[in-house]
Amino acid sequence: MVYKFMVYIALLVFGIGLTYNLSNWFRFSIGINGEGTTPWTRVRAAFKGIGGLFTKEQLSVMGNAFVQQILLQKHIREQDRLRWIMHMLIFTAFTFLLIFHALDKIIVTPLFNRFYLVMNPWLITAGLIVLAGLSIALWRRYILKVPRLKTSGMDLYTIIILFVIILSGLFMEITKLSSYDYYQKIWWVHIIACLFGLAYLPFSKMFHMITTPLSLLANAVMDENSDPANIATRQVMELDACTHCNTCSRHCSVGVARDNLGNDNILPSERMKFLKEYVADKNISTRKLRGIQQGITLCTNCDRCTVVCPAGINLRELWFSVREEMIRREQPVDLMMTPFSYFRGLNHQRIDQEQYDVPLASIKNVLTADCTSAPELADTPIVLAQEDDALTKALAHSGRTESFAYCFSCENCSTVCPVVVNYADSQQNLDLLPHQIIRSVALGLKDLATGSRMLWNCLTCYQCQEHCPQGVKVTDIFNKLKTVSVEDHK
Amino acid sequence: MMKYTLFVGCNIPARVQQYELAARSVAAELGIELVDNPEFKCCGYPMQTSDNKTFLLMAARNLALAEKEGLDLMVLCKCCFGSLKKAAHQIQLDSRLRDEVNTFLADEGLKYSGTAEIKHFLSVLYHDVGLKDIKEKIIDPFTDLKIATHYGCHALRPSDVTRFDDPVRPTLFDELVKVTGAKSVDWPLQLECCGAPLMGVNDSLSMDLAEKKLADCNRAGADYVCVGCPYCQMQFDRVQQMMVSERELSYKIPSFVYPQLLGLAMGIPGRSLGLEMNMLDITTLESFIEKETEN
Repeated sequence: MVYKFMVYIALLVFGIGLTYNLSNWFRFSIGINGEGTTPWTRVRAAFKGIGGLFTKEQLSVMGNAFVQQILLQKHIREQDRLRWIMHMLIFTAFTFLLIFHALDKIIVTPLFNRFYLVMNPWLITAGLIVLAGLSIALWRRYILKVPRLKTSGMDLYTIIILFVIILSGLFMEITKLSSYDYYQKIWWVHIIACLFGLAYLPFSKMFHMITTPLSLLANAVMDENSDPANIATRQVMELDACTHCNTCSRHCSVGVARDNLGNDNILPSERMKFLKEYVADKNISTRKLRGIQQGITLCTNCDRCTVVCPAGINLRELWFSVREEMIRREQPVDLMMTPFSYFRGLNHQRIDQEQYDVPLASIKNVLTADCTSAPELADTPIVLAQEDDALTKALAHSGRTESFAYCFSCENCSTVCPVVVNYADSQQNLDLLPHQIIRSVALGLKDLATGSRMLWNCLTCYQCQEHCPQGVKVTDIFNKLKTVSVEDHK
Repeated sequence: MMKYTLFVGCNIPARVQQYELAARSVAAELGIELVDNPEFKCCGYPMQTSDNKTFLLMAARNLALAEKEGLDLMVLCKCCFGSLKKAAHQIQLDSRLRDEVNTFLADEGLKYSGTAEIKHFLSVLYHDVGLKDIKEKIIDPFTDLKIATHYGCHALRPSDVTRFDDPVRPTLFDELVKVTGAKSVDWPLQLECCGAPLMGVNDSLSMDLAEKKLADCNRAGADYVCVGCPYCQMQFDRVQQMMVSERELSYKIPSFVYPQLLGLAMGIPGRSLGLEMNMLDITTLESFIEKETEN
């Protein structure tokens, strides 16, 4: 009686959780793809999309994805053999236990009438196989210490709940003959663990057994030209499909930056973890926002995360879309002024022009706020009282940049600069010319040196530096000035 | 046999795959053995103007990995090349920095001491393979083909660090083009920047610079631009394509990476050089191959 009641409760919670998650995929949106959609348009688009899948071609693509990626888990096998063995052990044996043991009344009994063994060797073997897989999982996390593999509370819960289910099950089988009393106690542990796992499944990492196959199938048949409403839905669903397995972070091109800067959001897997919470509640602290902005902008768009993701998540598109949302928020992002913006520029036709300029204008305003342009300066004498020793010291300290002192204002640098040449009235457009920046440094005029539009439109083509007769490392100095300015505006 | 560890960087595998494909095809024919290292990550280039320490660590880790293998690096991208060279230069000048870098690298059991040489692909072809050996492999030379060679800033300059070629009057790339039978045209803006570093920061300025260069190529009568860097290639290929609609360009000068040109002259089929992977059509290049006279 109690048992039945518990089963129904667990099933009910599971059902509610499942429905809730499913509704989130259509209600929530993240990034720019969901702009202007309603849950209703998203549901309609999804039905239309699914309806279009029943062609011979699409079915064969999905069939192939099902066998290769869902059953054989090709992506994992190619990346990490040990992890594949671990996952296959758990996946196959647990599926076996689910079908032939948990659901035996529905599946086994009708097939094999009165099939019963006191100590079922099949069950024990399957349990041991799962245990072996779980042991490898623990070993990878705590002894092997796979680089950048972070263990969240959820990762730990997943391992623990499986351990409890399997261990209690094994003990149950073993104690069946020896002590009925003991068996009964263990039976309760086993049942409670199983039912808890079931009820909590939609809210836990275990939910990936539904979403990851879905993501693999969806990504097999979708591309960037698919209906944006469907992409928006898929991108929310992909957050549930992520198992926080760390394959992406292991391969991330800029992982070294995270190791040095200590910002976990630079790693794709940690960004996914953040986004899972963010999608439901977008009110976050300024500190958190800055962290995620740095994380998602400090990305070379090398595609590695997308190529290796075992859940088939199209991370490239997710980052592109989420980045837009993050950089348009209240905080300006300094990395927008670096070549990390190249990919966004290359794709500027995919972004609404007005919105495209917003984050760029906001950071440019911050960085150039304190600069007076040279034409304006012509009428008023420069006040040297604002002299900044810290700047000259910072430059004098680092090898090549101390060369600013040798400048005698021959203006060669400004003559060869392709950016200067590009404007008929260059001072109006750039505030200062390169030689004036170098002079400002020598005079300790920090606001002038770091705030001119010339500095922030420098190509780093090194023409100025190459042509300086005095050996002033003009471009190196410019690079240093930018880092000083970025540091100041943090 | 020449042996290098191949450094492809971030852009090539994601957006300019034809460069890697063509470079590998050509290297195999010329007896260059390339060793891959999946542990290579970003060279640090985009980090240079915001955080020098992080930049150095990113670059140094790659150099240390090459050192561990005991191999010199063959770098395809000129920005990767420049950035690795600059990082090595900084670390070698400053023992305090070297210690900081090595403390960081020690976590992974790596160490930078500066023994692995950093070479750009074009330098490998010119200096290590040599024009003579390349010439021997040319079986389908071009004729009447006019090429504008684009050197790329970060390989040429700062020349005291990169030591790629004469920064004011370089010849390395032109000679590599000439060996295929093509003509390398003179064009005043040859050594100027392609504009890529400002794409995404100031798109109109970036395109102004690319447009000026293309107009200059056009005036010089070039049929194509030839580059040795993925950034330059994207700028003259994908961005030029965008400029056709955004700026109503009246001409198109398609661009390709050098191994595509060399490969064709060596008789390597177009599909092994990724000719169809370029955005602007360059398959017309094959029509410039000298037709052998039957009698």
